[in-house]
Amino acid sequence: MILGQLAKALADLEEDQVLEIVRTELEGGTEPLGILQACQQGMIEVGERFERKEYFVSDLMMSGEIFKQVGLVLEPHLKSSTRISGGAVVIGTVQGDIHDIGKDIVVNMLKSADLNVSDLGVDVPPDQFVDALKETNASVLCMSGLLTLAFDSMKETISQIEDAGLRDKVRIMVGGGPVNGLVCEVVGADDWGADAQAAVRLAKTWLEAGASA
Amino acid sequence: MSDMQALYETRRVRIEKTIALEPVDRVPTAYMGMAFAPRYMGMSIADFCEVPENRTEVTLAAMDKLGADVWDGINALPCGRIVPSLTDLWLSHIAAPGRELPEDSLWQVQEAEVMKPEDYDVILDKGWRAFLQGYYPRVIDMDELKESRAWVRNNVKHVQRRCREHGYVPISFGGTSIPFEYLCGGRSMARFYIDLYRNKDKVKEVMDVMMPHMIRDGIHAAEVSGIPAVWVGGWRSASSLIAPKIWDEMVFPYFIELTHALADQGIVSVLHFDQDWTRDLERFKELPAKMCLLNADGMTDLRKVKEILGNHMAIMGDVPSSLLSSGTPENVSNYVRDLIRDVGPTGLILCPGCDAPINAKPENMEAMVAASREFGRTE
Repeated sequence: MILGQLAKALADLEEDQVLEIVRTELEGGTEPLGILQACQQGMIEVGERFERKEYFVSDLMMSGEIFKQVGLVLEPHLKSSTRISGGAVVIGTVQGDIHDIGKDIVVNMLKSADLNVSDLGVDVPPDQFVDALKETNASVLCMSGLLTLAFDSMKETISQIEDAGLRDKVRIMVGGGPVNGLVCEVVGADDWGADAQAAVRLAKTWLEAGASA
Repeated sequence: MSDMQALYETRRVRIEKTIALEPVDRVPTAYMGMAFAPRYMGMSIADFCEVPENRTEVTLAAMDKLGADVWDGINALPCGRIVPSLTDLWLSHIAAPGRELPEDSLWQVQEAEVMKPEDYDVILDKGWRAFLQGYYPRVIDMDELKESRAWVRNNVKHVQRRCREHGYVPISFGGTSIPFEYLCGGRSMARFYIDLYRNKDKVKEVMDVMMPHMIRDGIHAAEVSGIPAVWVGGWRSASSLIAPKIWDEMVFPYFIELTHALADQGIVSVLHFDQDWTRDLERFKELPAKMCLLNADGMTDLRKVKEILGNHMAIMGDVPSSLLSSGTPENVSNYVRDLIRDVGPTGLILCPGCDAPINAKPENMEAMVAASREFGRTE
């Protein structure tokens, strides 16, 4: 019951209330993983409110901040073996572009969905994406860019992924301010995300399809 | 009056009438594309940024080359160095080509939390101007900033004369915005948005201290140039980004106050609004009628703007940057045709959305110009 309240408090962006419940539950002996899952439930509700246009980007950022604070409190109590990752995702802002805001929102939301996220940062050269895909065996790649200049880098990255023989092992999405269906087609990505929630939904769909295949 | 002077005057009146929502003989077309011009004319971006004369001359040359018969004007007077101007607006360090970045790359805002939470108290204690004097050195060399401002002051009339000699009307000069945008630039978007939830009352108090300065900046720009229109920016305060309860309190009241204060002085607000503002278009009726020009970037639904605000404010836009860089000439031409059909001809100034990007394909820019010739005439 109290975990239901926790999920609701997070969905309502009640930061103080969320942290108070988390600390009280921890002290009361509640399993940390259960607390984390309640918060993830709250984050799912945030995403759904965003899709229903009840929430906006500022709400996503605030929910990500609250989730981060919860993570700081819970982390020492969580055994890594008790975490079940929903899959691996590589993400970064492409070469020539240093914008990270949109990417960071997506990273936070992917993490809150319990995915194993390799965030390569900004201005990421194509070969770094290729190396990261090899190292992590990730089957999903998210490339972000705010500048139209980013399109060329996205295209080049996909070309190098092809050259490395990884293209049929990874599904690629692109996103960022000027990205749309036309850009997705031109750069050779599999799909694009109009916003953070769309990106997360796409990643989860691909990972679930991959897992069941 | 020479032929060029007469042409300039015709174009000036055409733009003026469009803003006043009066019928015109053809849809005016405005150039917008800071970084496109040097790339198109074969100049490095570093040279374009470093030498202020280059910005003026290369922009005018690019307009001439694309189609001197088509452009009625340019969205903002191409006057002064870009990096210091952007620093003023963003309160962030701008990575410059030829310095932190390669010679021919685009300048970029470095997103970082330069302004700290305790700076809110400094603004409340000492005032906005005093705070800025201490703040600027964190993001720019003060000598460079002073030199850049002095160049603008000394050359604003000369640049206007150069535009007039080419027959192009500068639609606005100078820039201002609401306190939200400056604070968001200084604090970084991620930190500032969180401030709006955690510390809203104090942020609002700070905004109220800042607001008279934003108004004064706008009026001052119009006084210096004599151009009765000022660029009023909105990018991170857009409806698509901000929760309504915050937007209603921390964003829009300030736009209302700013635009009315400018309108009271006979100054038009060129609302350079990036991102999507469709959610709140009804509220735009509270802005002064026929004294604002909504300069959208391709994300706000202009058909909705026409429907809701068609009798209230004119539109400047909005061939999207992604279309100019990734589309085909046919895509661009169709976009312009549909835009003029649905949103014009009255109350529309045709131009690229936000700014023609550095990698806009020349053939796409030329297609926009050709489409203006083909579809823009109303008589």
